[in-house]
Amino acid sequence: MSTVAERLYLRRRITNGIALVLSGAAAVFGLIMLGWILWTTISKGASALGPQLFTTATAPPGEPGGLANAIVGTLTICLSAVAWATPLGILAGTYLAEYANYTKRGELIRFVNDILLSAPSIVLGLFIYTLIVRPMEQFSMFAGVLALGFIVLPVVVRTTDEMLRMVPTQMREAALSLGVPQWKVTTQVLYRAALSGITTGVLLGLARISGETAPLIFTNTNNQYWNFSPLQPMSNLPMTIYEYAKSPFEDWQQLAWAGALLITAFVLLVSVVARLLLLKNKQSHD
Amino acid sequence: MTEPVIPKTEKVVAAAGAKLSARNLSFYYQQARAIDNVSFDVAERKITALIGPSGCGKSTLLRIFNRIYSVYPGQRAEGEVMLDGENILAPGYSLNRLRSKVGMVFQKPVPFPMSIFDNISYGIGHYEKLGRAEMTDRVEQALRQAALWDEVKDKLKHSALGLSGGQQQRLCIARAVALKPEVILFDEPTSALDPIATGKIEQLFAELKQQFTILIVTHNMQQAARCSDYTAFMYLGELVEFGETETIFTKPTKQQTEDYITGRFG
Repeated sequence: MSTVAERLYLRRRITNGIALVLSGAAAVFGLIMLGWILWTTISKGASALGPQLFTTATAPPGEPGGLANAIVGTLTICLSAVAWATPLGILAGTYLAEYANYTKRGELIRFVNDILLSAPSIVLGLFIYTLIVRPMEQFSMFAGVLALGFIVLPVVVRTTDEMLRMVPTQMREAALSLGVPQWKVTTQVLYRAALSGITTGVLLGLARISGETAPLIFTNTNNQYWNFSPLQPMSNLPMTIYEYAKSPFEDWQQLAWAGALLITAFVLLVSVVARLLLLKNKQSHD
Repeated sequence: MTEPVIPKTEKVVAAAGAKLSARNLSFYYQQARAIDNVSFDVAERKITALIGPSGCGKSTLLRIFNRIYSVYPGQRAEGEVMLDGENILAPGYSLNRLRSKVGMVFQKPVPFPMSIFDNISYGIGHYEKLGRAEMTDRVEQALRQAALWDEVKDKLKHSALGLSGGQQQRLCIARAVALKPEVILFDEPTSALDPIATGKIEQLFAELKQQFTILIVTHNMQQAARCSDYTAFMYLGELVEFGETETIFTKPTKQQTEDYITGRFG
């Protein structure tokens, strides 16, 4: 004879078992897909890896070529985008956390920033196309840097805002109670407390744009040669991968896989560094 | 120094040599009144404890004395707080000057994310331009006053975040003491600490009052009874009773005070 309590317990255990199996299966499915993607990228890309990948520029099909100009170009474009968006984003995030916190204006800006954060990147590309490329009648690295920067900007605003608000209020008050003016409290105490968190935001922004193709289609396009002028298109990895992968030439397809592997490895590296920094940030607040 | 002015209200007990005097002090969060017409004197180089149930306004009252509330829009104080005969709430009284005279230690130990040495020298550097040797002396002096020197003298360059909670709180005391203030405000300074760390800080109070006027907000009535010379009991934003600690804890004149200290409410 089973009591009511025992029957209820059995039912709970069965429900629990079903939930466990379903969620476990979903996790395994996700991991398998991810592993598959990584494996394909590595196995197809690895064969094209070699010193010439980094020393030779892109070449016509059939000739020995590498991705040197695309690698340098992508790094230049991404770092330039981060370089303009970071200071602006930190300032805006500081305004939100330190000067406009709890105000209607602050909430509104935060909301608009969140919209920008989830805006499709191709829309940002079109925006810069209309704003810069059309009037200048020229695709350029400058336009590409602007478009990618607009993807980094809301990420930096958001993390700066959140990381500063994570700093205990009492630390602010302790610094103010020493008679230190607010701008010094922000720059000398709070930035230090939030530094690893803010750096994480910048790194995540960098990881996000390093593989972005859509914003470049309408702004920078691509360049098969070396170019260092900001007023001309600059060679870059995502567009090169896009062009090479859909080409009929096997050596180009090989290079596209190698490029994909490079970007994946770069994003992985940046994300791991960002995670480690975030961990450090959490520890310093406990 | 001017003689303390004693208005004719029963809430005021004249303390010999008042350092700080609240006169008809009220405080508002937006429209809500949190402190209602409070007047009392804080005696020089004595410890005055503010006690009362949560939400009675004791922390709010403390936060008026260095005007830390003024960072928040919508918070305002009315009335007067006289420090050595000058009204610190007057618009002309500079915050810089006030905060060099009135230091504050908070509930949660909040060392700045820098070295132990820099935590102490940071505030000093804001007021004085000292040479390396002089600054080192000042930092040592402050750490000694906070009874922390022996524990940290070999690791002054280490991050202050590596210290224990009790050590961090003594570092915060050293940071306040380093500016050579005249008054130090403590907002529940031991409520985040274990009994041993609390004991050390309570011992420290006896030392500190030789030199500083001390005001403590505490939830711990034993602490108020053990450490303070004067006690103010607050309830619902009003100062119910103020007097010598011994009197408040043994022969309170108001029923509410007696109920609170005997644990019948709060």
